[in-house]
Amino acid sequence: MSLPIEITKEAPAAPALKAGLLTLGKDRTWLEMVVMTLAFLALWPVLGQHRVTDFIIFCILVLSFDLLYGYMGRLSFGHILYYGTGGYICSVFIAYITPNPLLGMAAGIFVAMVVAMLVGLIVSRADGAPFSLTNLAFNQIGLFCALSAFADWTKGDNGLPSTNMQPVLFLDFLEKPVNFWFSLFWLLVVFYLLKRLTRSPFGVLIRSIKEDESRVRFVGYSTFYYKWLTYVISCTLASLAGVLITLNYTFISPHAMDPNANLDIIFASLLGGAGNLYGAVVGGILFQLIKNYLPIWVSDWEAFLGIALLILVFNFRKGLTGFVMERWAARGQSAMQPEGGEAI
Amino acid sequence: MIQTLIQGLTIGGILYFVSIGLSLTFGTMRVLNFAHVAVYTLGIYFFISIKPLVGDMFPVALVLAMVAMVPFAYVVERYVIRRLYGESVDYTIIATYAVLLIVTNGIKRIWGVQPQPVADPIGKFVDLGDATISVYRLSIVVLAFLVFAGLNLFFRRSVIGKIVTAALDDSEGVRRLGLDVNRYFGIVFILGSLLAVLGGVLYAPMTAVQPYMGFMILLLGFATVIVGGMGNLNGTFYAAIALGLVMAVTGRFWSQAAETMVFIVMGIVLIIKPLDTYSTAGK
Repeated sequence: MSLPIEITKEAPAAPALKAGLLTLGKDRTWLEMVVMTLAFLALWPVLGQHRVTDFIIFCILVLSFDLLYGYMGRLSFGHILYYGTGGYICSVFIAYITPNPLLGMAAGIFVAMVVAMLVGLIVSRADGAPFSLTNLAFNQIGLFCALSAFADWTKGDNGLPSTNMQPVLFLDFLEKPVNFWFSLFWLLVVFYLLKRLTRSPFGVLIRSIKEDESRVRFVGYSTFYYKWLTYVISCTLASLAGVLITLNYTFISPHAMDPNANLDIIFASLLGGAGNLYGAVVGGILFQLIKNYLPIWVSDWEAFLGIALLILVFNFRKGLTGFVMERWAARGQSAMQPEGGEAI
Repeated sequence: MIQTLIQGLTIGGILYFVSIGLSLTFGTMRVLNFAHVAVYTLGIYFFISIKPLVGDMFPVALVLAMVAMVPFAYVVERYVIRRLYGESVDYTIIATYAVLLIVTNGIKRIWGVQPQPVADPIGKFVDLGDATISVYRLSIVVLAFLVFAGLNLFFRRSVIGKIVTAALDDSEGVRRLGLDVNRYFGIVFILGSLLAVLGGVLYAPMTAVQPYMGFMILLLGFATVIVGGMGNLNGTFYAAIALGLVMAVTGRFWSQAAETMVFIVMGIVLIIKPLDTYSTAGK
């Protein structure tokens, strides 16, 4: 079942382009990707290029989280661990081993993937509350590693700069617009991959696990394997976001491993609407807008976040995109079939 | 050696006070209550404010702080926890975490972010063998064992305790007997909150009181509850003492690793223990 996914990972462009052009009328993925690109380009002059790059990277993180939470229904309170691991390994690699940022990137993602594979073996045995808490505990261990255990390499609280990176071909990450296009490229890749993944039989399976795991097991699937695989994919994509943030800032600090940042992802995911990919992107942008601009007017940022979360949980569960889709459906226009809408 | 032992038992005792409420909330309501440490932190700040008003008498201020937290605990239980009954666990986490955020923000507004010192109320030391032990810490250990014995008595002998124990085992079954589990649970919730305040105030002289102090103890408390078995009241006690000792022994050799070691133990327990026994918790 995972085989076709592997193939698209190897070469996302060529067969996909053909398929995309052939089914342009039915499948709007390409159109959506163009719209997304235009949206971020439009935000560029408004927010400044550096901030837009941050937004893009955060959207990748929320998308990766959405696969785990929105589609499979497993709320992780330790997703930031992989973001931080990817970022730190990339940074350490560039600072001490080779100034080639692409190698650092590969190393960061690879190590985070291996960590996810090992941690996944433990956490995939749990669900519900123990799953959240076990992830949180591992995140805490990761923070400890970055802050104290490997402080000789990570420079502890001070953070680790990676300004010595060298340009590779036309990719000079010290030039900021390169970061924008590079991050946007990866956002589109991740969006496309997740779109394919969640529409595949695999996607149906993990949504079924969310609905009723024992029935999936009854049908004969090893749910442990699929939960583990989804965890690894989701966490590896999160590490991609961590690597990109390192390249963007050429710096990493333990803040990238802070377990409290998990709340940002959860909030963004709920705000946009968990369980559909547009929700993750919309939520990511909206959350970053709130986080960046609200504190200018409101000093009690945490209380605002808390009250907003309570409202979302008690009255507004499907988030913004879910709300819009519901209204759309209520108007009797069945033209728009929401992605993953039936699973919510 | 003895010093490390007493240190471990002290931390274990405080972990027990804090964890018992978490364990009860999870065991009866299946709600993972992040707001528990909101009560804990707020209770400590109440204590700090009350203490000068009653002539610096530690026990009086402690009791008053606990009494003052009853309405707050009631409001949290009635308007947040009870509404979350039967919800999937992710919503309960998010909603109670939201309460914690709001309370933390309120504390920052009222008392500020500067750490506030609390003096050791006894300030005497005794010599045990070659070690000098604080009497205050010894009394915390004794108190922890007393509370453990008292709670055992409460849950085995009193009617409320028996109902709640039965509900921990099979909440639906108790409901079918026509008993309003939520009402009894409300009483036990307040009891758990008061114990959290007790733990917090007792811990205050050993640490710096600041608005975010609840976040770390929260993680340790959850680790205790997981190691002890969710909703298992005696297990919570043994787990708290064991983890306290783990922290003390680790802290002796590598102080920064003490808290992380707790999570490593928790990971090991999760690997060894079949988690299927927990997985009913999500339903």
